[in-house]
Amino acid sequence: MSYLQIKNLHAQTGDIKILKGVNLEINKGEVHALMGPNGSGKSTLSSVIMGHPDYEVTEGDILLNGESILEMDPDERALAGLFLCFQYPVAIPGVSISNFMKKAVDARHPEGKAPAGPFLKEMRENMEYLDMDKSFANRGLNEGFSGGEKKRMEILQMMMFKPSISIMDETDSGLDIDALQVVAKGVNKMRGPDLGLLVITHYERILTYINPQYLHILMDGKVVMSGGPELVKTLEEKGYDWVREQVSVTA
Amino acid sequence: MPTLNLPLTDTPSLLGGFDENLLEQNRKGEHALLQAKRTAAFESYSKIPNPDRFHEEYRRMDPELFQIAKFSPLQIPEAAATYKPEEEDSNYDVVISVSSEGVAVEDCNNVLSDGKLVVMPLDQAAREHSTLLEQSLGAGMVPGEQRKFLDLNGAFWNVGFFIYAKKGVDLKGGILIRYYNDQADTVLLPRLVVVAESLTRFAIAEQFTSPDGVKTLCISGRELLLDAAADVKLVSLQDWGNEGLHIGEDWARVKRDAKVNLFSMTVGGKVSKMTVGCDVCEPNANAYLGGMFFADRGQHFDQKTLQFHSAPDTYSNMLYKGAVKDNGYSVYQGIIRALKNCVGVDSYQTNNNLVLDSTARADSLPGLIIDADELACSHGATFGNIDQEQLYYLLSRGIPEGEARRMLVMGFFDEVIDRIPFENMQDHLHKVIERKFG
Repeated sequence: MSYLQIKNLHAQTGDIKILKGVNLEINKGEVHALMGPNGSGKSTLSSVIMGHPDYEVTEGDILLNGESILEMDPDERALAGLFLCFQYPVAIPGVSISNFMKKAVDARHPEGKAPAGPFLKEMRENMEYLDMDKSFANRGLNEGFSGGEKKRMEILQMMMFKPSISIMDETDSGLDIDALQVVAKGVNKMRGPDLGLLVITHYERILTYINPQYLHILMDGKVVMSGGPELVKTLEEKGYDWVREQVSVTA
Repeated sequence: MPTLNLPLTDTPSLLGGFDENLLEQNRKGEHALLQAKRTAAFESYSKIPNPDRFHEEYRRMDPELFQIAKFSPLQIPEAAATYKPEEEDSNYDVVISVSSEGVAVEDCNNVLSDGKLVVMPLDQAAREHSTLLEQSLGAGMVPGEQRKFLDLNGAFWNVGFFIYAKKGVDLKGGILIRYYNDQADTVLLPRLVVVAESLTRFAIAEQFTSPDGVKTLCISGRELLLDAAADVKLVSLQDWGNEGLHIGEDWARVKRDAKVNLFSMTVGGKVSKMTVGCDVCEPNANAYLGGMFFADRGQHFDQKTLQFHSAPDTYSNMLYKGAVKDNGYSVYQGIIRALKNCVGVDSYQTNNNLVLDSTARADSLPGLIIDADELACSHGATFGNIDQEQLYYLLSRGIPEGEARRMLVMGFFDEVIDRIPFENMQDHLHKVIERKFG
């Protein structure tokens, strides 16, 4: 049984049906990439997994460690081991990074409060690893951050919260090569038997730095093709039109 | 044909016993300078009709709400009271406490002994600094309709302080004036006159508290005169108990290269009307007006700001942040005024409101009056509940909903609170926000 199981997932926002029967399984220790053209439902899938209130699941199920999470609020899903690296992290002026990180780490601590010393040390080390300046900790969360700074902030959280399953929603979009390398560095440090990764991307760029074991292609709300690393190369050469042809041939 | 039949009656009883007899009582035995100032204020006060709720200024806050006639002046003994230190006092260089027991002035860090910084009651200042007090008391006043209450304060103030910093004074800790009123049905009329000579830097805090369930009224007047390159911060923390009523008026006149920070924090009491204004009157004068208000459980808070630019190349920035919940009602009104030929003015006015439930109400009326060209003025107001995307982000990080909401409201206010120069006041306000979230 896979750690994260997405079964025949149908979801909509308002009357617009976006996911139309997604099936996907991810285990700890695995790295999956999910690609698809614009509007195929990639970001919706990540929002539905995390429990965004704008989306309604109409059919199917999401199981984490064998248990359905559909009735869980986003904070409960996070504490159960899910993490979402946002494509567009929202800015929250007035809430400092250090305060925010402490509250989030406290929420995960069995006694509800993590000791300050080890927390600060770990945060400082991770920030250094991601080439983030110390002064960051006092800034408002994502307030006035560049695209690269926002993504580093997301990776920093992933390193601090140690999820079982992490979904990276187009983490590579809007990044220059330096930022991309730092992001990949953080992700690769986290790789290991305790983490399952779903890397959602529009381009194959980030896959140069993060080598996935599996690639899935999402089209019109469904996973239409899955394969190994060789599929990345084929897709790069032949494009989504080729995928469409293949799908219509088999359909 | 139907006729509009409004009860346009004057309200002669509104101000009760604030009359000539009381004036004479106040003047008795006083220094001639103070007597003259009281008389002048009383004459002006007598000429202005009583405010009523049909007047634009009071449309959203009926002056009858203050029930002024029901209060008699708080009796403050003339003999100095014993100073009772509190934990927070370690943050300040000078602590003044005012209550029905009297006035205590404590020079905690020995900053008054060399005479460069003067902090004293107004009657002592009348004797020792009469020329300066003659020029400053009543010199910096909020113009306009609300003059009635400022003149009332000018004629009837029952406690007053003079803070005077001579050239070069640079104070680390600051000055705290703590007002505490536990006497039911009494009115406190505090007056504060601040004179900052050039190149001075200091901060003042005024804090107002009373026990819950005790009906009190306060009519406060503060004036600040800043000379060239002075840097003065004034924090007003209105945290009266649940039966407190408050009217306050602050006015700062800011000269060349000087900078004033006026913070008005309104969280306590039942009804409050604050007016904070500045005149940046010489080039490169700068004013920051920061405000917070949080009205819940039927509290009614009205705040007004005035940013006067009477010289070219002057700057002002105003940020007022409010929240309402649980039948709370808040009003914000503001005016930026740039006089003719005042080019190069840079002025901002922002009022953000969090409306946390449907029983509460927030009104905002920002405004500009511009008689000059080539300047940058902008104003804006926002209303809304907690941002759902921000809330979702915090939830997705495992932070429980109650905590996430608290963090967002705290963060909303911190944009202003973080600029307050006193850490203990920041902590106090954070605790108040926690309390209101209950």
